[in-house]
Amino acid sequence: MAQGWSDYRSRDEIRQLQREQLQMTLNRAYFNVDFYRRRMDGLGLLPEDVATRDDLANFPFTTRQDLAEHYPYGLFAEPLKSIVRLKISSPAWLDQRRPIVIGFTRHDVAMWQALMVRLYQQLGITERDIVQVAFNFSLFPGAFTFNHAAESLGATLAPSATISATLQLQIMQDFRSTVLATTAAFALHMAETMERQSLDAASLYLRLILLGPDPLTEDTRQRLESAFKVPVYGLYGVNEMVEPGVAGECPAQQGLHLAEDQFFAEIVHPTTGEPVAPGHEGELVLTTLTTEAYPLIRYRTRDITVLREAPCACGRTSARLAPILRRTDNRISIRGIPLYPEQVEALLRGIDPFLEDFRLIVYTSHGIGEQLEIHLVRSANHDFPGGSRSQYLELTRSHIRRALGLGARVQMVDAEHLPKEGLTYKTVFRSTAPLHQS
Amino acid sequence: MEGCSDLLRVNGLSAQYGSMPVLRRVTFHIEEREVVALIGSNGAGKSTLLRVISGLHRPSEGAVEFAGTPIQQMAPERIVRLGLVQVPEARQLFPSLTVLENLDLGGYLFGRKHIAEHREKMFQLFPILFERQRQKAGTLSGGEQQMLSIARALMAKPRLLLLDEPSLGLAPLVVEEIYHTLEALHGEGTTILLVEQNAMGALEIAERAYVLETGRIVLSGKASELMEHDDVQRAYLGRDYQHKWER
Repeated sequence: MAQGWSDYRSRDEIRQLQREQLQMTLNRAYFNVDFYRRRMDGLGLLPEDVATRDDLANFPFTTRQDLAEHYPYGLFAEPLKSIVRLKISSPAWLDQRRPIVIGFTRHDVAMWQALMVRLYQQLGITERDIVQVAFNFSLFPGAFTFNHAAESLGATLAPSATISATLQLQIMQDFRSTVLATTAAFALHMAETMERQSLDAASLYLRLILLGPDPLTEDTRQRLESAFKVPVYGLYGVNEMVEPGVAGECPAQQGLHLAEDQFFAEIVHPTTGEPVAPGHEGELVLTTLTTEAYPLIRYRTRDITVLREAPCACGRTSARLAPILRRTDNRISIRGIPLYPEQVEALLRGIDPFLEDFRLIVYTSHGIGEQLEIHLVRSANHDFPGGSRSQYLELTRSHIRRALGLGARVQMVDAEHLPKEGLTYKTVFRSTAPLHQS
Repeated sequence: MEGCSDLLRVNGLSAQYGSMPVLRRVTFHIEEREVVALIGSNGAGKSTLLRVISGLHRPSEGAVEFAGTPIQQMAPERIVRLGLVQVPEARQLFPSLTVLENLDLGGYLFGRKHIAEHREKMFQLFPILFERQRQKAGTLSGGEQQMLSIARALMAKPRLLLLDEPSLGLAPLVVEEIYHTLEALHGEGTTILLVEQNAMGALEIAERAYVLETGRIVLSGKASELMEHDDVQRAYLGRDYQHKWER
């Protein structure tokens, strides 16, 4: 169980534990999950056919598509009687009537919290710390885990939610907060605010900054470490499992320690699905090991990373993930809110059947999406939905806000003025925000 | 010792009677000085698992390692010599021999000197056996027989003691006494694998447990957590739901 886990076990013991947990995950999935039962019966596969870790490679992947198709309870291993929490993985998908719902039993909730406590402890956070948690809780449900774990650790929790950067800094001084947990985007905004107010980092009591759920780039880390004069750490989670909690950095800042007692990791080639050689880059595929309500076998996370088993400078023996800097799908993130261009497209076409083309322009700061602008191209021969041109734009804006929980600038352009799309579908990244309001 | 504190490691163990599979790739471990319970309903494969570990039944595949030594192909008496000793289900004493004779048989492999030394210790642990030492084992009560059975196993100096349903057919008070003895043994450093149908009793004294269901391990965890677990109830009473959405 998550609490009894030691970070310093030998690789041999970790492998034994994973073999044991894997057998249970497969057995329970076969007997309790309709989706896996059908899939395995279809392949003539029994849980005991997976004898070794290598055999698992014969098991089919589970994808986000599978989860959506079996909404709501097709992947549940436990009846609702045993479920204490339901989570909609991505509110953004609500519009397509295909959300993903994940269940948690008491065990799962406790496990999630214990993993977060572990990430805190790994960074030396103790009951003497004052943890300021600044997330938009409605957009990032995982933020509560920061709260619960801080309390469970005995630290003092200062939830500051969505108040302005100025007020956050005020609280940080008044409360003598020692730990700041927030998104990279907001931390950057706070750094700017601090500079504008000529506030000296020395007047804060901060010891460290912990950022999530988006990956932390080295560029952002350097910028923030020089602004706040404290170390900045990243963590990792998977929306369809636990986020945060799957992995997190230690003071050595040399990769994210994976919770190997809870997740079995493989790295595969994103197109072929074949395992890559150890130490090579590929897509992270995770299998839950103790998750009761929503076990996932070989789930394609779409995150590109490298897995390293060599012991860390900190002495911990758990394998480490390199920070995730790319994905295999088109998911983009604006101020920590994930969205897919395909999903925005469906939304836009739903409003206006005569939409010809569009671009998403993501303004980034230090590589982090901060603002979204949408350029629309539509046929001039058809009336605007909603009446006039301005009503059409307003309609689109409000739809986007409702569906994505995100304000976006929307404008109409001529087809020839549409910027060329980059590697990401219909999306262009620009590195400076057009106007920066505080 | 380097890096491995597991006394027993069972990996991918399968066994069958004729063509009927009884164990299906069972994997678990016991660390030194742990009390681990293996629980499951009737017919789950618990006794077969113990028989395979003790060398009384050949596995069809998989490995058993005791203190780092593979033992899945070893003869039962060699396994006992290594310190892995089983207390069989339903006691299996020699009813027409005396308590003392039964006890001595347990230390038979280790010679007279060993027997003389350990007999005393058994009488301290189970004073009732001292009183009844001249009595025929068949005349003992069920609880006394169980104690004799455990004492006999202890005569072989186990590093790991396997117990098959020690509470079977005993009155609750007697069961409690037996469990107290096991706790005392654990206190002295004996590692114990307790196989039980009586889940709640076993979970009381174990630190960790595995749940076996139709030859497969389906659940494991801290005993205290499993006690509260809905699935443990379901493993015994069967499914209590038809649909996932039922409350």
